[in-house]
Amino acid sequence: MLRKASTTFLFSSAVIMIVSAVALYIYTSFLLKDEIEEELFSDKDRIERLLTDDPELKGIPPIMTVEKVNNPQEEQLVDTLIYDPLQDEIELFRQLSGTKMIHGQHYRVAVRAMVIESENILFAIVFTFLAIIFLAFVFLFYLNRSRNEKLWKPFFINLEKLKGFSLQSGTGLNFIESNILEFDELNREMKSLTQKVSADYGNLKQFTEDVSHEIQTPLAIMQAKIDTLINDQDISERQYGELSSLQDDIQRLKQLNKRLSLLVKIDNDQFTAEKMIGLDRILMEGIENLRELTAVQIDQNIEANVLVKIDPYLASVLFNNLLSNAIRHNMAGRPVEVHLTGESLRIMNHGDGPLHHPERIFERFYRESNQVDSTGLGLSIVKKICDYYGFVPSYSFVDGNHIFYVSFLG
Amino acid sequence: MKFLIAEDEIELQQAIVKYLQRDNHLCEVASDYRQASEKLDIYEYDIVILDINLVSGSGLDLLKKLKKQDKDCGVIIISANSALDDKLKGLDLGADDYLTKPFHLAELNSRVKAILRRGKFGGSNSVTFREIRLETASRTAYVNECPIGLTKREYDLLLFFITNQNRVLSKSIIAEHLWGDDSDMLDNFDFVYVHVNNLRKKLTKVGAKYLQTAYGTGYKFMED
Repeated sequence: MLRKASTTFLFSSAVIMIVSAVALYIYTSFLLKDEIEEELFSDKDRIERLLTDDPELKGIPPIMTVEKVNNPQEEQLVDTLIYDPLQDEIELFRQLSGTKMIHGQHYRVAVRAMVIESENILFAIVFTFLAIIFLAFVFLFYLNRSRNEKLWKPFFINLEKLKGFSLQSGTGLNFIESNILEFDELNREMKSLTQKVSADYGNLKQFTEDVSHEIQTPLAIMQAKIDTLINDQDISERQYGELSSLQDDIQRLKQLNKRLSLLVKIDNDQFTAEKMIGLDRILMEGIENLRELTAVQIDQNIEANVLVKIDPYLASVLFNNLLSNAIRHNMAGRPVEVHLTGESLRIMNHGDGPLHHPERIFERFYRESNQVDSTGLGLSIVKKICDYYGFVPSYSFVDGNHIFYVSFLG
Repeated sequence: MKFLIAEDEIELQQAIVKYLQRDNHLCEVASDYRQASEKLDIYEYDIVILDINLVSGSGLDLLKKLKKQDKDCGVIIISANSALDDKLKGLDLGADDYLTKPFHLAELNSRVKAILRRGKFGGSNSVTFREIRLETASRTAYVNECPIGLTKREYDLLLFFITNQNRVLSKSIIAEHLWGDDSDMLDNFDFVYVHVNNLRKKLTKVGAKYLQTAYGTGYKFMED
């Protein structure tokens, strides 16, 4: 901001300097010219009067000349170049000439003034003016800037504090005082705002933990009871079927809870264990684990040493979600292709046709099919992790392939 | 073996007791922090199953106390909180294992047995079931002292079955035991079937016919 103010100042002062210099030049040159001409006219008058008294007046070339002519001439005011023997060069003169009838004889009288002299004066004036005004501007500029810097200092310090504000700290920000009413008002508002945000964040975190705790305990009881039932009593095969399907539902609730709390945790910025890790290694581990769980062939093309700064747990969640999604929706008998480079990850599986709503693919609880076994959160977790680290995920359908592409460069 | 189950949810506490008693372990219970603290002061236990969020106190404090008294018992923490921080804190304080609710009783049982097998309880590094013997250090299985070649998964399966003998194990329990968090990524329990089937074939070949199908889709490991 200070730089912008300085630029504005510099720019406007330059404009003022140029405009005023031009105006000064035009005005002074007009004045000087006027002055010269007035002098010429009066000189001419004076000579003519002298001539009346003394018709033999010779004049002082080149400043004034008098000669006898036969015909009268118009009065003329012109610029002319004349050789000045005194300085031994051709000089520019302003010349006023005219004829006058004295004692029945036409005399041509010409008076001249050296233009160069007046031009020198003109330049001296303009130059002095420019120098003074320039010095004044430079002085003002530095004065202004140092004053501004001092005035705005508390603002910039507080701005830095605000930039460094983290919800993790659990408290609001304390700003420095500045003795400037507006700044102090702003600080007060920011302080109460950050305090409120921190408090809300704390409550939300607490709520998430509470909900997660409160849901898991009844689930644990249900699961334990089912385990007991299955082992204790002689139950029929149909009852066992019902009970184990109940177990699967508990499992789903457990997964749902786990994923929702993962989403909230990412939202809350609770993954701070990020470090430079080899994505290639994590991806390969993920693929190895999945190979045990699926008959789908996984073709991999993985560059070595793809180092990215990320939380290792989130990296494996990202890969596992994309991979299991590809395997789950793969067309039977076709391989899933995985391609990792330093810049991007591409996972491709064959499918029947394009999605109906590809733009909604990363939304929570959006399901393309009515397959009940998915929580509908896998890809929204992918999106969330990508957003968190500035990766860009995208989906496309090309030549019968669903392609998920994640660019690490953003 | 003598266990203490410190869990304030009575239903869960009783279910755990019932499951563990099947192996003739002596199970005592504590339903709040005070009870648990008293019992730990007075009696000796081999295994303590400790809920972190006990009414009127934290299980972690009990754990600290236990470690201070230098008692030679194994501790499994069961908690509704799956946060990694809590898990690490618990293990740092000297817990032997950590289970997040909800868990399968079979899983809890296999963790308990694993702790008992570790050296400090004088347990041997082998698990025996009739003519089958598993060496947990080298992860190999013998039938009548003849080694049978098992894959890593088949070995894990067999150990899990023997640990939870006479109980019905459903495919989802087995899947979760074998693949942990990854098990839910794919809903394909056929792979459990494949692994169980391979194990059963290998066992049957050497005459050990203990692995039975229960209720069509579950499994049970038992003596005839």
